[in-house]
Amino acid sequence: MNIESTTPVAPNDSESQRPVPEAIRQGASATTESTQNSQRRIRRSKTFYGICVSVSFLSIVVLAVLLISIAVQGRSRLTPTLLTGAHSTSEPASSGMYPAIIGSLSICAVCALSALPLGIGTAIFLEEFQPTNPWLRRLHGFLNLNISNLAGVPSIVYGLLGLSLFVFMFNAFGQIKVNESSGTELMGVERYYQILTLAGGGDSVLVRQTDLALPTITITEPIEAVDRDGNTFRLEVWDPKSGTPKPKDPATQHRTVRLGQSGGAYAKTSWYYFRLPFGRSFLAAGLTLSLVILPIVIIAAQEALRSVSPSLREASYGLGATKWQTVRNVSLPAAIPGIMTGAILAMGRAIGEAAPILVVLGATVAKNSGPQNLMDTVVTMPVLIFHWAGDPQVTYQQLAAAAIIVLLLVLLLMNSLAIYLRQKIRVE
Amino acid sequence: MLSMLAMCAMATIGITIGIIVMLVTQSWHFFNSEYVSVTEFLTGTRWTALQSKNIEDADFGIWPLLSGTFRVTAIAMLIALPSGLITAVYLSEFATKKVRAVLKPTLEIIAGIPTVVLGYFAVLVIGPSLQWMTDGGFDAFNATSAGIAVGILCLPMVCSLSEDALHAVPRALREGAYGLGCTPFETSVKVVIPAALSGIVSAFLLAFSRAIGETMVVALAAGTQATYTIDPRTQSQTMTGFIVEMIKSENEYGTVQYFSLYGVAITLFVITFAMTLIGQLVRRRYRESYA
Repeated sequence: MNIESTTPVAPNDSESQRPVPEAIRQGASATTESTQNSQRRIRRSKTFYGICVSVSFLSIVVLAVLLISIAVQGRSRLTPTLLTGAHSTSEPASSGMYPAIIGSLSICAVCALSALPLGIGTAIFLEEFQPTNPWLRRLHGFLNLNISNLAGVPSIVYGLLGLSLFVFMFNAFGQIKVNESSGTELMGVERYYQILTLAGGGDSVLVRQTDLALPTITITEPIEAVDRDGNTFRLEVWDPKSGTPKPKDPATQHRTVRLGQSGGAYAKTSWYYFRLPFGRSFLAAGLTLSLVILPIVIIAAQEALRSVSPSLREASYGLGATKWQTVRNVSLPAAIPGIMTGAILAMGRAIGEAAPILVVLGATVAKNSGPQNLMDTVVTMPVLIFHWAGDPQVTYQQLAAAAIIVLLLVLLLMNSLAIYLRQKIRVE
Repeated sequence: MLSMLAMCAMATIGITIGIIVMLVTQSWHFFNSEYVSVTEFLTGTRWTALQSKNIEDADFGIWPLLSGTFRVTAIAMLIALPSGLITAVYLSEFATKKVRAVLKPTLEIIAGIPTVVLGYFAVLVIGPSLQWMTDGGFDAFNATSAGIAVGILCLPMVCSLSEDALHAVPRALREGAYGLGCTPFETSVKVVIPAALSGIVSAFLLAFSRAIGETMVVALAAGTQATYTIDPRTQSQTMTGFIVEMIKSENEYGTVQYFSLYGVAITLFVITFAMTLIGQLVRRRYRESYA
């Protein structure tokens, strides 16, 4: 529509057609034409408005269909077993997601501990310390561009990065192998041989492992040993061929083994067990996810800091505060509600993210507890849902829907927490 | 203390470098293998890394995976771009406060839904309804249902980025248009949208890159066969879908088949990185300044 060629018609804010002015009514042919013209334009505008409304409300319909269909599908499996049980291949009906809930929450904690300080620190650096030197300014712009680019990298690529960086550490510390002392162990692990005693019934004692290359030990002479409670004692040896009768006293039996009895390696790990490289572990998965959410945290924190009114900062400088005092006492407290909201949204993203964890930990879901130590494997809710949803059995399909309901409830809980915290901080 | 903050910031560059180093060194194992040629990789139309147990029979041509990715992405964009833009226009130009109070949270909830949930939705609802509507014209797993789900996923992103761009257009432009006698439709389409075009184009590019990199939806709903066609009713493994299948499969770390996933990953990274970079540059370069 060419604006210049149209005859002057009153603005149609109210969308009701106003009478055509007297001056235009003079030319007969122009009159009908212009009236028709403006009527057509108004009709078109109304149609457009109608399309806008219907398309916009389509998103509400889609959301409703999604929630209702999942609720209908998962309703029958929303039982207490779902919250207490673990994944079971033999009995699908008694499967649950307890290890996955604990796993997701603990991975989320690792994410928060690593991504939040790093992200908020970066945001403060970029927003509060803007350089004046032209070269530094260029670097500054490059950093900002790089962060927005990182936000656009597919999460599965971060998964592959985590696989190389945390799981294998570019093979710089040796490869991780199953059932072998692997990589460079730093702390939190004690290695023993487990040896059956004369007491029978699976009763065993532990002997400290000195040479990590030997996977088994054969007892030929008395040796230092440790019992289950950590007390050290001397392990006696009984030779059946020597003719001495087998000890009868249970206490002695517990401290004696048959000559030539062999024992396999056994590792006792504390929760802070730490080794390099991390292997397919809970810590590696958490750190990988923190890479995924880092750009989100940075951008949210930057926006929160940017929205702090400059007059607050200027007042602080005017009172003689240094740059640091201003950041710590004025800018950060004013930006905290925004930063918190962004952080919790990022955590929600971390809880729902499946692809990087799938790459880092593999697709196994057979685990019946949360992670026991930093190097333990872990199951998370989205990976479990992916596993169940990909299974053709109807029971697993329903379980997936029920697990989705639980996952959405956890997310809802987190978001309400975010809103509550924001309100509380704002009031104070 | 300032140096610590600077190190935090430098860590973000470290991540980018880490991604590039990792992709290049790992995919080197793949491209350097005697069974793989770069020309075949870039032009071949058969991809059988997972199907062929014997390495001699395996074909490594990226086009089936690329075509799968673009089928899903095209359908997603057909849904997300128009509806996202129209919703953004409605929100920024016409919606009353009450409507905004309903519509904005809805979009935020959709944006917060984990992708694996949308993948499940595609398998549970979209796929069967497509089959029902066409009397079985669609495969059980197909590009269209995955594409629709990815479209739903991208919609809030397109909408919020475009709305930001529309918001930045000054009121005076709108009032000028109304003053010249424009209808609301003409004001939106001929004045406001052109003024915000750079922001809208950048939103489209970012959504495009997001759709290409989307993983869980296609892993669940798009099927596991790499097909080289433009038919959206067939199974279509995408690049991300292939990476997930390879991770799930029994292939050992170290085989050429396993390293082929890095060849796919570097292709994926180059495409999405270029899209995002162009999107960001468009936004910075052509941002209309009304200060």
